[in-house]
Amino acid sequence: MIKKSLGVLLTAALATTMLSACSTGQSSTGNSGSGGSSGGVTTIEFWAAPNPTQQAYWQEMAKAYESEHSNVKINVSAIKESPTSEASIQSAIAAKSAPTMSENINRGFGAQLADSKALVPLDTLDGFQDIIKERNMSSTIEPWKFADGHQYVLPIYSNAMLFGWRLDVLKELGYNEPPQTYSEIVELTKKLKDKYGDKKYLWAKADLADPTAWKRWFDFYMLYDAASGGNKFIEGSQFTGDQKAGEEVLTFVDNLRKESGLLARQVTDPFENGVGVFTDVGPWTFTTWKEKYPNLKYGENFTLSMPPVPDGMDPKDSKTFADTKGLVVYASATKEQQAAAIDFIKWVYADAANDAKWFEQTNLPPARDDLTTNDSFKAILDKQPELKPYAENVPNAVPPMDNAKYNDLQTIIGTEAFNKVVKGEISPADGWANMKKAIESALQ
Amino acid sequence: MDQRNNKMGWLFTSPYLIYSLIFFFGPLIWSFFLSVTDWNLIAPTFNIIGFENFMDALKSPSVHSAFWVTYKFMLIFVPIVTVLAIAVAVLVHGLPRFKSLFLIGFFLPYLSSGVVSSLIVKGLLSYTSPLNVFLRKIGLDIDWLGTPLSALFIVGLILAWKFTGYYALILTSGLASIDKEVYEAAAIDGVTERQRFWRITLPLLYPSLYTTLILAFGVTFGIFTEVYQLTGGGPNNATNTWQMEIFKQAFTNLQAGYASAVALLASVATFISIFIIRKLLEIWGKRNGWV
Repeated sequence: MIKKSLGVLLTAALATTMLSACSTGQSSTGNSGSGGSSGGVTTIEFWAAPNPTQQAYWQEMAKAYESEHSNVKINVSAIKESPTSEASIQSAIAAKSAPTMSENINRGFGAQLADSKALVPLDTLDGFQDIIKERNMSSTIEPWKFADGHQYVLPIYSNAMLFGWRLDVLKELGYNEPPQTYSEIVELTKKLKDKYGDKKYLWAKADLADPTAWKRWFDFYMLYDAASGGNKFIEGSQFTGDQKAGEEVLTFVDNLRKESGLLARQVTDPFENGVGVFTDVGPWTFTTWKEKYPNLKYGENFTLSMPPVPDGMDPKDSKTFADTKGLVVYASATKEQQAAAIDFIKWVYADAANDAKWFEQTNLPPARDDLTTNDSFKAILDKQPELKPYAENVPNAVPPMDNAKYNDLQTIIGTEAFNKVVKGEISPADGWANMKKAIESALQ
Repeated sequence: MDQRNNKMGWLFTSPYLIYSLIFFFGPLIWSFFLSVTDWNLIAPTFNIIGFENFMDALKSPSVHSAFWVTYKFMLIFVPIVTVLAIAVAVLVHGLPRFKSLFLIGFFLPYLSSGVVSSLIVKGLLSYTSPLNVFLRKIGLDIDWLGTPLSALFIVGLILAWKFTGYYALILTSGLASIDKEVYEAAAIDGVTERQRFWRITLPLLYPSLYTTLILAFGVTFGIFTEVYQLTGGGPNNATNTWQMEIFKQAFTNLQAGYASAVALLASVATFISIFIIRKLLEIWGKRNGWV
């Protein structure tokens, strides 16, 4: 009898151990498995970007909000990046342990979540319109409207992606400022190659030949947005690409290749080490440069510009890609949690000083229309003049497509056109035609 | 007595049975269910679409590449790792002392992180690395990770470096089990070093070699980290493995149903391939009279 009981006990203990090993370690309370209401206090879970400065910012905001609102508790934690932050969010929703809200959502992923009914349309929540008004972001948020007419993501920051130029090399070649049109750049490339041969390239970046979807944001889209005047490329499930602009972009890249101006190979920090003289630069880069490349000084040995435009276009009309991420509220949250979440966001954005704090701590330009006119940001921009062109161009930046298949679609841009043109495997016209056909087929 | 033994047998095998039910059969059934749906795991609704995911996967160029890339890696990785592992095992086995120390040394790459070794290789192959600067000076400008064949070789070599010590460990124990008297008898008969290796060592090492070969062939179906870090499956899907494809579909495109179908196709391809390879190895062993 004792032996039988021991056997049962052993089996039960083993099963319990194995089952407990399956646990994620996350507590599960409330309807969404994350937070809820208890004793008059509504608890909300906020997942911040897996970046210490952003996490610290939101923790500070949550603490300040809680001190004024004793009926709400906000737990701020970082989104797990294993294997990717998107996959972590997906798993959490599938496991019914999604947070109440999270930041770090790009428009494409927002579209995937919205398609799956995992997000609350923010414009249906009381207080959302107040946020837009008080934060002064009516123009900035306009292109964020999804094809179904709703707003699912509240943009937090908007980086109008710019191109960096090695000013020291430009000066050696007789330029005091960056060239702005395609033919001017091809001309500069010829001079660069004559002087430096295989020691320097116009654009040195392994990503140019990499079909990974998001890499197109920082090469093809930057150039395409400029050449097309901000054409959306894909709207809803329609391919609306501007053929003339697209072929001009691909021809420009092809011409750079023909002049040996492209190096699509693995190089350690090519722009920083002077192997490349032109590259896409986001404002997050400056923090790294301050620590790793303190010799790089804005206005001395590097400068920034909007993307170049085809010959005949006015460079002043140049548009660019908006590297921008925002905040969402999950549909699995209770009504109380949704209301508390929107109230928290309203409280944060009611005071421009909070956006200024964000800008100062993260270098990421808040998604507002008044970044260059509001005095709250003046001190930051005066202190860091390299951030000024980003702030000035927030309204000229085009956000990513809102199509749930954006990964597939952007991979096609690389595999059918851009990567092949970079490698000289296809003509620009054929590349565009193949890409268009493949995208239209994928959209069906 | 038999009944009591029967119960004890069930008791002692129950942990494995429970483990298999939870971690093998459960996920397998779940994966099969997902593969016949268009569910992405998060949408409130989904449709049962039958074998549509499988049909799509069979038509997909990136799935085709995953299928062929596995065999390309086999052709590169298996011969290299086998030759190196045998060489290391024979050399270490012949050492008069400190055998364990040397074996641990060769085993260390197996314990190292694939991410770290890939990043180191990435640095070594950088356009501006001393190796490439030197090669350009002698007229060789090689785009190591941007050319399909060299990208395959690089990943194959990293894996060979990683697994050589592990397989050498298995082969060393195989060598240790060979009776010394066989060698002594051969020495009396005047066999040369070469004959000694081909006629005695290799045949008697066959059981261990069989194990390492099966393990090595199996590795090629699970390559992920090195490819993810170094090439992302490129250039032009030249290094797109099954695991890379499943990862892309499940975690980038959020197509859980389709990814499950690809995963099931991968397991079928793995099962059939390993079965055929096992049979071929057995025929090879029997034909030579090693088994």
